[in-house]
Amino acid sequence: MKDIFRVRRMWRPRSELKPRYDVVIVGGGTHGLATAYYLAKNHGITNVAVLEKSYIGSGAAGRNTTIIRANYRTPEGAEFYKKSVELYEELGADLDFNLLFSQQGHLTLAHSDRGIITATERAEVNQLLGIDSRVIGRDEIRELCPEMDLSDDVTWPVMAALYHPRGGIIRHDAVVWGYARGVDRRGIEIHPYTEVTGIDRENGRVTGVQTNRGPISCGTVISATAGWSTLVCDLADVPLPITTHILQAFVTEPMKPFLDVIIVSSQMHVYISQTDRGEFLIGAEIEPYTTYRGTSTFPFLEFAARHTLELFPQLERVKVLRQWTGLCDVSPDYSPILGKTEVEGFHVSAGWGTYGFKAAPIVGTTLAELVATGDTPALIQPFELERFYTDTLVSEVAAAAVSH
Amino acid sequence: MSFLLACPNCGPRDVNEFHCQGEVTIRPKASPSRRELSEYLYFRRNVAGVQREWWYHRMGCEAWFLAERDTRTNEVLSTELPE
Amino acid sequence: MRLDPRPGERIDRSEPIRFTFEGKLVEGFAGDTIGSALYAGGRRVFSRSFKYHRPRGLLCCSGACPNCMMEVDGVPNVRVCVAPAHEGAVVKAQNVRGSLERDLMAATDKFGGPFTPVGFYYRTMIRPRAAWPLFEKFLRSAAGLGTIDKHARRTGRYDVEHRHADVLVIGGGSAGLEAARAAAASGEHVVVVDENAPRGDAPGGLELLAPATALGIYEGGLVPVAAGRILYKVRAKRIVVATGALEQPVIFPGNDLVGIVLPEAVRRLVHDFSIRPGEKAVVLAADDDALAIADDLRDAGTQVLEVVDLRNGPHRISASGTKGRLNGVGVEGVRYNCDLVVASGGRQPAYSLLAQAGATVAYDEGRGVFVPRDLPANVEAVGSVTGEGTGSIAPAKTLLGDKTFVCLCEDVTEKDVKRAIAEGFDSIELAKRYTTVTMGPCQGRLCHLASVRMYARETKQGEDAIGTTTARPPWSPVELGLLAGRPHEPGKRTSIHHRHKEAGATMMWTGSWRRPHSYGDPAAEARAVHESAGLIDVSTLGKLVVRGPEAAVFLERIYPNRFADLKPGRIRYAVLGTDGGRIMDDGTVARIDDETFYVTTTSTGAEGVIEWFEWWNAIWKLDLSIVDVTGAVAAVNLAGPQARELLGPLTDVDLAPDAFKYLDAKQGKVAGVPTLLLRIGFVGELGYELHFPSPHGETVWDALAATGATPFGLEPQRILRLEKMHVLIGQDTDSESNALEASMPWIVKFEKDEFVGKWALEHVQERGMRDRLVGFEMQNGSVPPEGGAVVRDGRLAGRVTSARFSEQLGRAIGLAWVPEELAVEDADITLRVSAGLERAKVRLRPFFDPEGERLRS
Repeated sequence: MKDIFRVRRMWRPRSELKPRYDVVIVGGGTHGLATAYYLAKNHGITNVAVLEKSYIGSGAAGRNTTIIRANYRTPEGAEFYKKSVELYEELGADLDFNLLFSQQGHLTLAHSDRGIITATERAEVNQLLGIDSRVIGRDEIRELCPEMDLSDDVTWPVMAALYHPRGGIIRHDAVVWGYARGVDRRGIEIHPYTEVTGIDRENGRVTGVQTNRGPISCGTVISATAGWSTLVCDLADVPLPITTHILQAFVTEPMKPFLDVIIVSSQMHVYISQTDRGEFLIGAEIEPYTTYRGTSTFPFLEFAARHTLELFPQLERVKVLRQWTGLCDVSPDYSPILGKTEVEGFHVSAGWGTYGFKAAPIVGTTLAELVATGDTPALIQPFELERFYTDTLVSEVAAAAVSH
Repeated sequence: MSFLLACPNCGPRDVNEFHCQGEVTIRPKASPSRRELSEYLYFRRNVAGVQREWWYHRMGCEAWFLAERDTRTNEVLSTELPE
Repeated sequence: MRLDPRPGERIDRSEPIRFTFEGKLVEGFAGDTIGSALYAGGRRVFSRSFKYHRPRGLLCCSGACPNCMMEVDGVPNVRVCVAPAHEGAVVKAQNVRGSLERDLMAATDKFGGPFTPVGFYYRTMIRPRAAWPLFEKFLRSAAGLGTIDKHARRTGRYDVEHRHADVLVIGGGSAGLEAARAAAASGEHVVVVDENAPRGDAPGGLELLAPATALGIYEGGLVPVAAGRILYKVRAKRIVVATGALEQPVIFPGNDLVGIVLPEAVRRLVHDFSIRPGEKAVVLAADDDALAIADDLRDAGTQVLEVVDLRNGPHRISASGTKGRLNGVGVEGVRYNCDLVVASGGRQPAYSLLAQAGATVAYDEGRGVFVPRDLPANVEAVGSVTGEGTGSIAPAKTLLGDKTFVCLCEDVTEKDVKRAIAEGFDSIELAKRYTTVTMGPCQGRLCHLASVRMYARETKQGEDAIGTTTARPPWSPVELGLLAGRPHEPGKRTSIHHRHKEAGATMMWTGSWRRPHSYGDPAAEARAVHESAGLIDVSTLGKLVVRGPEAAVFLERIYPNRFADLKPGRIRYAVLGTDGGRIMDDGTVARIDDETFYVTTTSTGAEGVIEWFEWWNAIWKLDLSIVDVTGAVAAVNLAGPQARELLGPLTDVDLAPDAFKYLDAKQGKVAGVPTLLLRIGFVGELGYELHFPSPHGETVWDALAATGATPFGLEPQRILRLEKMHVLIGQDTDSESNALEASMPWIVKFEKDEFVGKWALEHVQERGMRDRLVGFEMQNGSVPPEGGAVVRDGRLAGRVTSARFSEQLGRAIGLAWVPEELAVEDADITLRVSAGLERAKVRLRPFFDPEGERLRS
């Protein structure tokens, strides 16, 4: 308890760059920081620098809609995210930082026969892997969310839902800060406002990076730069099967508790939750064109508002306070690209689409293991970049119509 | 209403009237190897800069055309019907 | 208290207005806001703060701050200082337990200073984990401001209007109006947006939208303007931003006490509503306009005890109060007993719209404010938004005393900011997220500058080095209802829709179409098709006419199947694939004549197929045209052993088995309507798919129904097609499925030189099949769920994609993806049914009429 009142720095001020590190992590978001954290914690590797071109958590880590869940469609995905949820459940205690993980439960609504089939597919895969996930009908939906419009006289009547009790929302910034503190306390350096401008290689293996603050030599480089993955990997001449899109969200003014479960409608491309502060946090699908310009659009607000009110007409007079935008790497099969590349010592965490935040702890754990042992952990073997050359895609596409 | 795009037939219109097919890719000429085929099917340059891309005027003249757009600013530099 | 009538007041004393606040009667006049009427009636406490539940009173009186939010007629978070008073309004306080004067939650203020520092929640309730959900429940109940009426319905009262103008002027102050008049004088069409209710008519030649708020300057120059129930979407050749400047609070202990106001509140209370704002006042101000407020106060009968020009160096200020209400202020050691302090730390340009439009924001050292620079093309700024006449004072080192607020919305104190810096949150963006300063309902209007300047002071850097946080739209909070517009249903209906409704069909969605699920008894409808004849509306199928000298070449190239050798008058099944070899859609292709093909697609795939065709031909540039006739052509399928007899009398086409064979296409008349007849059989019986102009939908339907054919819906159709093992694209296949593994190798003609997807399918062939789509038959008759798992060794081995009980066969049947080695006739597979395991036999041939004799009959 004494820590509550004692003012103690979360992390040291940025130091000078050293000429050499064992591992350089590009990207100070949840993936980069988590990887650094587990390198130190699980493997004792601490001669590590996390380089962030802006402030920590400035990218997707601080812009996502904070949903954590494991109810994926593919066994590979579900197994992977199951581990992630388990790690998230313990993470607050592990980091000694309350991440305000609110496991309210997660409902993916089905508005059509096809929607029910997709929900069933996911529930079946989940149950076989021991993930709490099932298809429920309107009566049970009404119990979980009495406020939702479950009548038939709406455009898209709710027919059923995939219910995932352990799905939840978490304070995303806290995840960043908790990891950053853990990383810093284990001696790893965090370098905000440090941009990587080149990746040096010799004979097909990484030897260092160039930055706006000078060169660094290192044996391993990890790119964990959602949205900018293509540009970072270009520096190592590693092509990626990725396009970059914007994803938007908004919050409303804070209201008294109204909604105690996370609602996702893939048919209507909207997801809605209410934070512990009382704001409604609402998002939609990625914009269909590729762009690096993270600007917010007005049609998104109209679209998301229209669909929110289809489900919750009571929110008509609730006011939107703030909208924002983040960049997403989208891969052809909506599954991540994780692990080794053809450049020795250069690993990636990319292609997360809209799912990256949910995976931070397990990405950190597995990438750290890869760096420490040189072997790709079985859990992430299906997600290697190599799969696009061998035509062994891991398709979350059917479930990805929107599921946050 | 995001950025505007000048349809070669209809003139400047809101981006939401269009469908974006993504960057122009080069289709292999002969029987490609598995690797060449994968590169064509999945891998994209995804440039931060001027990109040549396919657009379709879905809510308009229903024509496909090519645009040069800067993906850093969404500024559309030119549009043209395919030759 | 209300003053005697004054020139220019907005209230109309001849028209009293009565409403209730917390059940008690409040009287005001037309022209009053709810806030001004309450203030005139003596109310000073308007709300309780977000975190500490401190009493808060009017502060800005212009709709910017959170201090006057109340519930009005069931609508939460209404800023009553700008909400017009109306007869019979029901006004309630929000975010209180008890009353505004006695809020049980106010205890958080007592304990909430030293005991809940910034970041408190992150450091508590970590262990045991089980305690957190309970604590969270408490936290959630305490959070939030207004309460949503759970029974509220949509009012459907919103509308959208579009405006195209030469010039849009945002802000109707003196600079904005001057720019507007100049533009209008040169003959330009000018629209002016102003936040305040208009006084009298708009100046000549201008279109005035007021009271209205520009929500942002979005990409492409779109400016959405919220004007009550109407959302204007304004596009202008030139945008002039004249949003002025925002008065800034002064940072000192007790600066949130009820009775401490910004100068604008005094201006409005005195001039608009003729109210004396207080009895004894002290003015603390950092600009001439604000200092002049003393005259307004005197004019209203308020005794002005002292006027302090804060520009003359830092001042030690501290306010005190009882029960949250101001009773005095100390300035440089001198105490003044007063009930009103007008405090202004200067004015900050309201640059947000400009920043969103792409301007950069730079710190103006001389003025002490952030100003917009490098405006984008076609956007101008005039008046104080440019920085002209603005300025602010640095936050002074504060004295000990009450809490010193930097951000009123979120109850962030100076101490919180200092602590955040000490903890390492040394970038303003990090600090914003950690302390939540600027993240409340005022959107940073009253706290952004102060927080930056405090950061600069505490970290001993320049404000330019600290920088600003990103300006995020919308510029003003906007109701979801206004954004959503009128509720509308985008569903598409066929020309026979009303007949289905009349026949009692239950309707369902397929894509954006509404279609009959069944007419009440799916099994009976399926039986009718097998035993006599059934009738189904298939108008939703996509329909294209591909015509031209190279139409055959085009289809040959775009489909894996062969079409060049298709004879006129014949039909072939067509599966469309991507270049990755994945199935996109299916349908039929009928050759009408040498150069004309009639192509059908799935109901949901029509638009995608048309775009796909057009795209490939934009590349290939073959000599042909592609015309979408989906909406223009209706289609019904008459199927069953009696189909020929029933259709015969209605048509001039010779239906004799030898004259009109399976997979023939013929043109003629049905019920007098010109029709294309396709002899195909998705449901496995003798059938004719009739395509005709959609205005005749009901005519043809009625004529066929009169023959005694039984209308059937999609559900019986699904049973029937499943008996034939006909695949539903998108249900039995997914985004990764290819034609080879979907057990349709016969539609892939590798011998063709080229077709879309050829290379990928060659690679599939080379690597060998991994999974296969097969039929299955349940051993015990239970029906597995669609989407259910095929299980092997406790692990997922495949998926059930379709399953039904077939009355015709007396068995439960289905389609499933299974590993290649199980794709063998009679192989045993295990399926998950109700979380238990059931056995099934693999079937590779259609369950019903495997030889297709009935189809061909």
